[in-house]
Formats: sequence, structure tokens, C-alpha cells
Amino acid sequence: MRPLTARRLALICAGLGAMLFVAVVISLRMGAYPISIPEIVMTLLNRVIGRRNEIPPDFWNVVYEIRLPRIALGILVGASLSTAGAGFQALLRNPLADPYVLGVSSGAALGAIISLAIAPQTAGMIQFAAFAGAGGTIAAVYFLGRRGGHVDTATLLLAGIVAVSFLSAMIMFLMTTLPGHEFRGMAFWLMGDLASPPPISSHWLYLLLVIGVGSIYTTSADLNLILTGEQEARHLGVNVNRVKIVVYVAASLLTGLAVSVSGAIGYVGLLVPHLMRMMFGSDYRLLIPTSALGGAILIVLADLLARTVVAPTELPVGAMTALVGAPVFIYLMRRRVR
Amino acid sequence: MKRACWDNAVRIAITIALLSSAAQASVDREPTRKNKAQSPMTSRDRIVTDDVGRPVKMPAEVSRIVTLAPNLTEIVYALGLADKLAGDTNECDNPPAAKLKPHVGEPQNPSLEAIVALHPDLVLATTAINRVETADALERLGIAVYTSDGEAQTVLGILDSIARMADLMLAKTKGADLVAQMRRRLDELHARLGDRPMVHALFVVWLDPLTTIGQNTFIADALRWAGAESVVLSKQNWPQISIEEVVRLQPDYIVFAGTHQESGATELADLRARPVWRELDAVQMGHVVNLSEEAIRPSPGLVDAIEQLAHDVHPEAFTARNQDPIPMALQAREEPMLCVR
Repeated sequence: MRPLTARRLALICAGLGAMLFVAVVISLRMGAYPISIPEIVMTLLNRVIGRRNEIPPDFWNVVYEIRLPRIALGILVGASLSTAGAGFQALLRNPLADPYVLGVSSGAALGAIISLAIAPQTAGMIQFAAFAGAGGTIAAVYFLGRRGGHVDTATLLLAGIVAVSFLSAMIMFLMTTLPGHEFRGMAFWLMGDLASPPPISSHWLYLLLVIGVGSIYTTSADLNLILTGEQEARHLGVNVNRVKIVVYVAASLLTGLAVSVSGAIGYVGLLVPHLMRMMFGSDYRLLIPTSALGGAILIVLADLLARTVVAPTELPVGAMTALVGAPVFIYLMRRRVR
Repeated sequence: MKRACWDNAVRIAITIALLSSAAQASVDREPTRKNKAQSPMTSRDRIVTDDVGRPVKMPAEVSRIVTLAPNLTEIVYALGLADKLAGDTNECDNPPAAKLKPHVGEPQNPSLEAIVALHPDLVLATTAINRVETADALERLGIAVYTSDGEAQTVLGILDSIARMADLMLAKTKGADLVAQMRRRLDELHARLGDRPMVHALFVVWLDPLTTIGQNTFIADALRWAGAESVVLSKQNWPQISIEEVVRLQPDYIVFAGTHQESGATELADLRARPVWRELDAVQMGHVVNLSEEAIRPSPGLVDAIEQLAHDVHPEAFTARNQDPIPMALQAREEPMLCVR
């Protein structure tokens, strides 16, 4: 492992930040409505200098009301799911852990749907319920996946599969038997899509993202030690249980947050942390921030594809990530078995 | 016909979810037409309330319409407003000219940008297949969006809804004519069928898994207008039933609404090749009817389907002997006789 200096961390994050910026610019530019880069710059500039009246209404709508909220949502969801994935991988000491594969996303979706059925108007309720659903599911999968005192990869994945199918069945059951509720459609919860972003002014969603990623980041040095062996980490003075609880709560929070606004988007939490490990090594102090940025880039680009490849028809972004993620999952699984 | 079971299950599940999600949208609606007394020319903006109770700020002139569902496109065409239709969805296939209009994507998730690019002054949506999020988003973009009740339970309810939409698009006279004409055809049909007993029909929404209609759907009401009654009595809108149940019920007729343009003969051949189905009385006697999918949408084409079905299940009512003029007394009837709720 190369030693991590503040300079290296800053350089890598700046590089990924620049890539994210480019992805955002491309996403702003592309879409069913034709708009050029100078027109986008003009629209943004006029907003900054407070001359809203100078902006043609169409440009205002396309840039501020349609594309930016969607890009912001992509960043939120991508960063949340990737960081949650990295967290679950450390927590379960299993490289194949991912909120979607383990059923955590389905649990969050079920929680969100139940909260929509019970208290549709309460602000933040849906996020809390999704968080509770995520937390409950990962606890269940963890205990089902344990065998003889330690977590067994195959059993854990089987527990995840069982959780996904059971929770999906529950979702289908609820969606078909609860009439009169304005759910966003089953495809949204089962496949994941960014077509209905919350208003860009919902700052508290981003605050939750920062809290979630931040709290996992504070444990990253300890996670490095825990991954070399829990016993050794204990001897070195790491409070293993405290670290596990922080990661467990934060990763569930991030999954619940992402699912509550976008449904269950798969494989992001698997794909991104592995890509980042391949590029920058497995030091969690670097892995957490790079996963957050990488996840944001991946989802922004995946959603760009989802809404442009067959425009004006829009695909769910979850279909795009599964298309790439599933083969990578197989590859990782086979490489591990060998 | 025999598609992957899972594919069908997902499709049905999604459809049912979308349909049921709007099931109660009509409860507190009160079709408001309080502005109809005002001339649209004297007031800059009309505020109307749509079928789900949202206020819609209507422009003084409606010249660019975008429809988000096939039946809405058909209504716009039937009202003679084709040149005002700026865009529709990928699913809008009737009349064929609708396929040439710019598309804005699928009804469930249309591209908002594509809608904005068309500069509509009115977007028509329906609770049957559109999502409330789409209407919310369009509202935020300052685009007038009128959501119609796609869960109408009766054919006459659909006629009312068409009249309201005509009103909205400032085609009131044309709409009244269209609805009156549909009403006249229904009444003529009703008079012609007289008090013939209802035939018992199984309406097949999907064959795999076998899905039929509940008694509160407009399709069940359309069957009644055609002199047929669904053999399945269910409060659910799209109940799944077992083949055993069909054997027990022994329907007189089996009615399909193809997602494909197959004729009754193709369906019949298909059923004759299927075990259990081929033993059914209706199949043995060749009592299989195929209505086109367009015809069973809540749109003006529905009356065509009702007439076709009546021809198929009551052919004796349309023989030369019965071509007498219809007694006026019968035309005033409000509901079909055996309309059991």
C-alpha cells in the first residue's frame, strides 16, 4: 500500500472532481431539447448576475427545472450508494457486498412505500422509513448469512437473494392491494430511475449525504486495521464494535436516502468501490472519498445515457447500471472462487 | 400469444399498479365548468379544475396540445383538432397519422424536455397510465396540464369526459356533436338489441396469466351495452382467474382485445390448439371475438368496438328482418336493462 499523503488525497480528489464537472457539463448539454454550450453558459451567467429576465423561459426550464435537479439527484444517489457499498464491504468483510445485491435497497424501498401508505405528507418520513427498512434488512441478512460464528460469502449472498425476492414480492403485494395511493409506479421502486427529482432546494437531503459519508470517513483508518483482522485491530486499540455500529448506521442511512428519492438502483455500490480499489488501492481513507465522487460520476453518466440513447423515450437508470454491473459482479465472483 | 410468463407478470403488475394508483382519484372530483358562461376571448386566463381536482390555468387560446396517452390522442383527432396536436407518445398509433407526430416518449415517463421543446399550451394526461409526478413536474414548469379521469366506470362516463375535454380545448360544439352521435349510436344499438338476453362472455385481458375484467370497469359496461355480460364478477379491476374457473363458468363467448392485430380466426385457431381451452363450449362453437386494442380504450373508438361486439354476439339482431326504424320510446333509456351494479 502506497503511503497516503494529504497531497495525494487532494490531487486524486481534485482529478475526480474535475471529471465530475466534465460529466455535469456534458449532461447539461445533451438531451431531447437542443441547447448549445454558449447558451448554457449564458443561462448560468445571467442567473449568477441576477438577470433572470434575460433568460429565455425554455432555457430556464431545461437547465434549472429539468436537467440540473436531475444531475444533482444523480450525484446524491451515486455518492450515497457507492459509499454505502464501500461501507458494507468493510462491515461484512466481503467484496461482493452491495446495497442492491444484499436486498438493502429493496428493504429501503419497502419502508418508503409503507411510509407513503401510512403518512404520505410527513416531511422526512419517507427517508426515515427507508433508513429503517435498510437497517432492518442488513441486520436480517447479516444474521442469516452467518455460519458457525463467521460470515460466509456464499451464505451471505444467498441470504441477500432471498431478501431481494421476498421484499420485491412484498412491494408487489402492497402496490397491487393498496388502492388510492399515488405511488410512483412499481418500476420506479424495483428498477430505480431519476425522472422525478426532488426540488433542487431540498438542501437537507444533501446534508444527510454529507453526514453519512462523513461518518464513514471518520472510521476509515480503523476500517483499514479491522480489514487486516478484527483481533489485531482490537489489540491496536480500535473499538471494533463502535466502528461497526457507525458504519452500519451510516451505510443504512445512505442507502435509505438514495432509495427514497430514486428507487432501487443496482450495482453502483459494487462497481464503484472496486474500480477505485483497482485504481488507487484499498486504503479506506482514500477509498471513501473517491467512491463518493466516482459514484456521482457513474450515475450522472449512466443517467445521461438512459435519457439520450433512445430519446425522447427514457430508460430507467437502474437498467443502465445493471447492464454494466451484473457482468462485473460475475467477474468478481469468479475471480474470487478461483 | 405465449410470451414469457415473467414478462407478462411484470407488465400486468405495472399496469395494475398504475391503474389502481389512481383508483380513488375520482372520489372528490366535481367537474367544474363554471367558466363556460364566459367567452374565452374576454378573459385572459380561464381557471378550470381537472378530473383529479387540480386547478389548471388555461390559456385564452389552445393552439398547441400534447397528449400523454393513446386514448387522449384519439379524442383530439375525433374533435378535428389534429392540426393543433403538437406531439404525442410512442404508444399513440390511432389514427395512423398520430404516429407521425413528434413523440415525447412513453406515457409512464415522457421526456419533460421533449415536451418543453414543443411549447405546448395544454398537456392532456390521464390517471389510467400517466404518473402524478409527470403532472407535478409539468406544473412546476408552468405548463398547463389537465388530468382526465382514466378510471371511468361507465361508457356514459367516458362520453362525459370527452365532452369536458372538448370544452377545455374550445371545441365545445364539435364535442357536443361527437358525444351526441356516440350516444345516438349506443341508443340505436340498445333499441336494436331490445330485450334479448345477455350472452355470457369471458373478456380476456391477457391469456398468460389469464386476466380478465372486474365488474366496475368501463369494459364491463361496454360489454353490457353490446348485450354481453362478463361471467366473472369481481370487485377487482383486473382479476387473475384460473382456467378451472373458466371451465366451471362455461362462457358463451370469449372476447379478446389483442395487443396485436390478429383476427378472431387466429385467436380461435390458437385456442383450438390449447388443451382445456379447446374443450370449452365457446371454442367448440367458434364463439371467439377479437376486438382491436384501440377499440377498447376510453375513446371515441369504443363505440365501434361495442357495435362490433354486438354484431358478433347477437348476429340475429342485425338480419334484414330487424332493420326496422327504432321506436322513439326506446331511445330515451339511460342505462342498459340488465346493468347490474
